[in-house]
Amino acid sequence: MGGACSRKRGQLDHEDRPPLEIQRGQGKCPSLMELCAHKIREDIDRYSTFSMLPRDISQQIFNELVNSQRLTDISLEAFRDCALQDLYLGEYPGVNDKWMDVIASQGSSLLCVDLSGSDVSNSGLINLKDCTNLQSLNFNDCNQISDCGLGHISDLSNLTSLSFRRNNAITAQGMSAFAGLINLSKLDLERCIGIHGGLGHLKGLTKLESLNIKWCNCITDSDMKPLSGLRNLKSLQISCSKVTDVGITYLKATWTTIPLCHGEWGRSAKAFSIEFGGLPSDGCMLRLSFSLNILFSCIYAALGDLLYLNLNRCHLSDDGCEKFSRLGSLKVLNLGFNDITDACLVHLKGLTNLESLNLDSCGIGDDGLVNLAGDYFNSFPVITFIYLSRPFFIPIYANVLGLYHLKCLELSDTQVGSSGLRHLSGLASLESINLSFTVVADGGLRRLSGLSSLKSLNLDNRQITDTGLAALTSLTGLTHLDLFGARITDSGTTYLRNFKNLRSLEICGGGLTDAGVKHIKDLTSLSLLNLSQNSNLTDKTLELISGLTGLVSLNVSNSRITSAGLRHLKPLKNLRSLTLESCKVAANDIKKLQLSDLPDLVSFRPELSPSY
Amino acid sequence: MKKEDTVKLISAEGFEFVIDKEAAMVSQTIRNMLTSPGSFAETQDGKVTFPEISTTILEKICQYFYWSLQYARGKETDFHIEPELTLELMMAANYLHT
Repeated sequence: MGGACSRKRGQLDHEDRPPLEIQRGQGKCPSLMELCAHKIREDIDRYSTFSMLPRDISQQIFNELVNSQRLTDISLEAFRDCALQDLYLGEYPGVNDKWMDVIASQGSSLLCVDLSGSDVSNSGLINLKDCTNLQSLNFNDCNQISDCGLGHISDLSNLTSLSFRRNNAITAQGMSAFAGLINLSKLDLERCIGIHGGLGHLKGLTKLESLNIKWCNCITDSDMKPLSGLRNLKSLQISCSKVTDVGITYLKATWTTIPLCHGEWGRSAKAFSIEFGGLPSDGCMLRLSFSLNILFSCIYAALGDLLYLNLNRCHLSDDGCEKFSRLGSLKVLNLGFNDITDACLVHLKGLTNLESLNLDSCGIGDDGLVNLAGDYFNSFPVITFIYLSRPFFIPIYANVLGLYHLKCLELSDTQVGSSGLRHLSGLASLESINLSFTVVADGGLRRLSGLSSLKSLNLDNRQITDTGLAALTSLTGLTHLDLFGARITDSGTTYLRNFKNLRSLEICGGGLTDAGVKHIKDLTSLSLLNLSQNSNLTDKTLELISGLTGLVSLNVSNSRITSAGLRHLKPLKNLRSLTLESCKVAANDIKKLQLSDLPDLVSFRPELSPSY
Repeated sequence: MKKEDTVKLISAEGFEFVIDKEAAMVSQTIRNMLTSPGSFAETQDGKVTFPEISTTILEKICQYFYWSLQYARGKETDFHIEPELTLELMMAANYLHT
């Protein structure tokens, strides 16, 4: 869609959304190895076996076939007994039990197998019994695997990583197979809805460091009890489960035993992370009810330094927020979508190690932001020294220092306005600020002009105009600028010339004409450009941007672009996504362009109708 | 052509290929042999013997070296590989790190 209405993005979902990378570098000469692998791929039918090849070569041929989607159950046969180590077949089409024979023929060489999204069933797993050196198995979205199948892998005691995400069939009974996997350090059972009562089988897995049971809405407080002996558990993801205060109390026991077992009493360097967090849509059934008192008594009890705390959508209020002030090691704190106000922020000012703070949709206003800023008149070096040598004093002096490590600040959908921004002007480490849907206006933006580390700025709100943009021209390091709903006109675009490093730019406020696009055409680093909703743009715009050959994604929906203008896009060889909804452009004409000039184009709109 | 600018590659059957040093250095393995101080006899003689690589394959590899140099200079043509040579060539390429 052209995105006719404004929308929210950029909520620190760094994991889920990899940054767009420009796929250039065509000039690099392929190695002879690559050329040979490519040639074998083309002639794959000529080969009946690769077993005489050294392992690293057959592995490379295998990877080449998988990456190009040329591997079939027939060509797979050539890889029998090749002593391959890694078979990454996650989401590969057509994988089923018939493939397991050849997979298992790799025998003791086999280390990692990913069969996510395949039709492999319980009987297919029998084959893996002899692959005794397996270290990593991934069966996400394999819904034909159930308890009976788990029994077949119960002796693979070299496994360190195991994943069965989104499996509906696994139950507590089948999980007894995990009890023998004594080397397991990572177990992922996200969205497994039948595993209630099964975590007891993990009791002996003392090497377990990471357990993900997010979205397992069958998991209740009693499931937490067996975890109390897992002395090495550093990361536990239990958001969107039914765990409450009671369950959390069991974990307190876990973390108090850590130092006892190791005979350490001081603040150990051991870091761990906890992710709680509730449901976006907040069904009453799954509503979480952590009270901060209980949660914090557990966190304090753990002698490791908590680095990462996600309490997104946990119905927190200001009550109990003073407890945050003792978490001086925190680097990432997510408090988005809670009922907290400025009163809570008072207690964050001691968190001088914070690098990322998310306050999305909280009741935060200008007065609260003062707590993020330091008092620079009083920041003598001697105080810094005290802070470094005696962490205990952090809360006392923190108001002097400010959150000067803060790199990422999310203030979307808050009441923050122009006057609040002055508190941010001293936070020189800031790399990313989201001010979308705030009441910030042009007048406040000069406060950001000194933040020379800033790379990403979201100003998607209607109060921002050309005048505001003029105040930001010193931010030459910007790589991402979102002016989606801002009222930018042609005269404002002249300031864009200062942002030579921009990789993504969105201006969709309706005020742009072809004349304004002239100032965008020289931003050659751009890989994403969204100029939709500017209804006066014509084919001339496409002509102007035809030199932006790094573009991967382009959106000029709701404009006067016509099919005749498409020819200007021919040089944009890196284009993967093209959106021209509500223009005078026929899907068929884009299809023709794709076939003739834009081989990398994977998504375009308007789409061809299914009946085509 | 001066002698020090060339290098002699010798196949399993004893066939000698005299090629530019620049071309031979496309192979990381040969580059290491020719440039590592003192340790290889090849460094002094400018002569490398490959008892495991047949004449046909070594010839193909020399062709690749020159093709690769041209490619780097902007002449991006296709490099033809005969299907019957591919596996043996790939093993040699693996050894030569190229």
